[in-house]
Amino acid sequence: MATLSADYYDGKRARPHSVRLSLSPAGDALAVEGEGVDRIEPLARVWVSEPMGDAPRLVKFSDGAHCEVRDHAALAVLLEAGGHRDSWVVRLQSRWGWALAAAVIAVAAVASGYRWGLPAVSEWIAFKLPDKALAQMGESTLAFLDDRMLSPSTLPEARQQSLRDAFDGLDVPNGLGADHQIVFRNSRAIGANAFALPDGTIIVTDQMVSLAGHDEEIVAVLAHELGHLGRRHSLRMLIQGSIVGFVAAWYLGDVSNVVAGLPALLLQARYSRDHEREADEYAAALLKANGISPSRLADMLEKMEQSHAAEKSGKEGGASDPFGGYLDSHPATRERIQALEED
Amino acid sequence: MSQSFGTAQAVDFRFSGKGGEYFRIWIVNLALTILTLGIYSAWAKVRRLQYFYRNTSLAGSSFDYHGDPVAILKGRILAVVLLVLYNVAGSANPALGMAVFAMLMLAFPWLAQRSLRFKLHNSSYRGLRFGFDGMVGGAYKVFLLWPAIGYLTLGLLMPVAHQRVKSYQHGSSRYGAGRFGFLAREGGFFGIYFKMLGMLILLGIIAAVLAGGAMSTSALLNLGAAAQEQQQALAGLVVFAMLAFYLAAFLVLGPWFSARIQNLVWNGTTLGEHAFHSRVRARELFVIYLTNFIGIVLTLGLFKPFADVRLARYRLEHMGLNAQGHLDEFMAGRQRGVSATGEEAAEIFDFDISF
Repeated sequence: MATLSADYYDGKRARPHSVRLSLSPAGDALAVEGEGVDRIEPLARVWVSEPMGDAPRLVKFSDGAHCEVRDHAALAVLLEAGGHRDSWVVRLQSRWGWALAAAVIAVAAVASGYRWGLPAVSEWIAFKLPDKALAQMGESTLAFLDDRMLSPSTLPEARQQSLRDAFDGLDVPNGLGADHQIVFRNSRAIGANAFALPDGTIIVTDQMVSLAGHDEEIVAVLAHELGHLGRRHSLRMLIQGSIVGFVAAWYLGDVSNVVAGLPALLLQARYSRDHEREADEYAAALLKANGISPSRLADMLEKMEQSHAAEKSGKEGGASDPFGGYLDSHPATRERIQALEED
Repeated sequence: MSQSFGTAQAVDFRFSGKGGEYFRIWIVNLALTILTLGIYSAWAKVRRLQYFYRNTSLAGSSFDYHGDPVAILKGRILAVVLLVLYNVAGSANPALGMAVFAMLMLAFPWLAQRSLRFKLHNSSYRGLRFGFDGMVGGAYKVFLLWPAIGYLTLGLLMPVAHQRVKSYQHGSSRYGAGRFGFLAREGGFFGIYFKMLGMLILLGIIAAVLAGGAMSTSALLNLGAAAQEQQQALAGLVVFAMLAFYLAAFLVLGPWFSARIQNLVWNGTTLGEHAFHSRVRARELFVIYLTNFIGIVLTLGLFKPFADVRLARYRLEHMGLNAQGHLDEFMAGRQRGVSATGEEAAEIFDFDISF
């Protein structure tokens, strides 16, 4: 019977003993012989560690002693003769085919988690958050924006109020309402735009008001923002971004926590497409219920796109346009305009 | 083939793990964890650690990990239950949620101490288990009291807090009956922290100068441009400079800090009369971090196991033991059962202390 060499440790001292391992003649026991060691253990009471590449395999005994075996080929012969069989997990791990199958499962699970699980979880959390938290988030965001990018509106108070009245005077069909307050701000940096904060604040820039050719266009944009609010889109985006950022930071933990935040930013943009469509549909329904054509929103979208495109082409390179990204996340503007005009 | 050493002989750690091999273990672990809705994760953890431990060798013998997957699973279930309770309590009544959170914070050091005990008790080399004798009281001092003092002094005493944590971890560890010792003093930690701070300030100045320079250049180029565009260009440059600052700080200074701390800590660690040494170089660690990051991003995460193996190989193979005489003389210490609860609960609350 073939024998193989190994290091034996008794579990009481760190001293290695050079030993030979062999199968007993009956084939049901393992013999260990060498310097100061002579033991025969029934195979049923011997435990062999899983193969792990070049790592030594460990043959363990019930009293805490063990052998380190580095001669993998000879051990395989001995194990074969002893009737040892690797666990099914080991067989999965040792074949590239199974590894590939596992990779497909993992990638599919992660991708579907990102595509469906993440939005669902974020939506659930978004509608669970207490109003107090939303108010706080909205206030701090508005304060942050006021500090850096927005300045007080130059529109006369009467003009502001008439726009608010025009919007609040709309007849809101059942289920389409949402708490909101409209504020006006001047911002050359952002240009013609409107956006909704989680607490129901809708910010409209002076540039947007002057870009509109008709008040109904502003009302249409406000309806669109109210659609975002009703579905809590900005909050959901925020939660999604946080979750992606958290997972990425955990996954890339060793690399760096801040760098890990970057992919999260890049991954976020694609969601807004669905959200834009939902908000457009909401706005179209609200406008039609009030006898306003949804094409008012389409007109406004067109003007905004032209205005931002003109701003962009007026400068060299995109690096100096930090807010251009806002419209970049409204990708299929064409598509949206078409859908609204067909409505 | 018992190995004997002369008066003082340096033996380095060796790591025989390979990315391709570990990839298969990692991906099967991941797929089975998904298919079993997380239950397999306990077995996955054991296989992952066994791969790294058994592929690590010192003086011709390798390490082993003995964690029991069932114990780990119990710990994970308990941690998940705690997390759910915390969330339910928090949404039902914010005050109750805060109370539960405070309790978790108070339990933190205890969890950390349990975690260290579990980790070391389940590690072995040459058939002898490691162990951890640190007391719970000591854990409260180093994981609660000292960080609090560090914050209260606006970070000034953070290096002392860091030294105390490492001293607690390394100074209370055993190999068999042999004791580890920790000799690194506060001065070394202060040195690293102050250099780090100095480099951060320098980076900040460079970023500010670069942004300022670019700003004035663009102002010259846009002499006739509208104020609006200048304002936008300015905001863009500030954002860009801040981003570049963060990237540089964490990609360059992160590895630097990590390398220096590893060297300081391990060069100050002893086991009986033997002393450890660590010669990790910040520059080389930086290259590994950077290429790992690029690899992981380009492969959408699949490079991760290769990255783990590369980092482990570099860190381990630049460490060793200055053995004084025989390593054979170590004797087994007392054994006692240690449950996995502490470690798993600590891990899920994102409190991982690497030894």
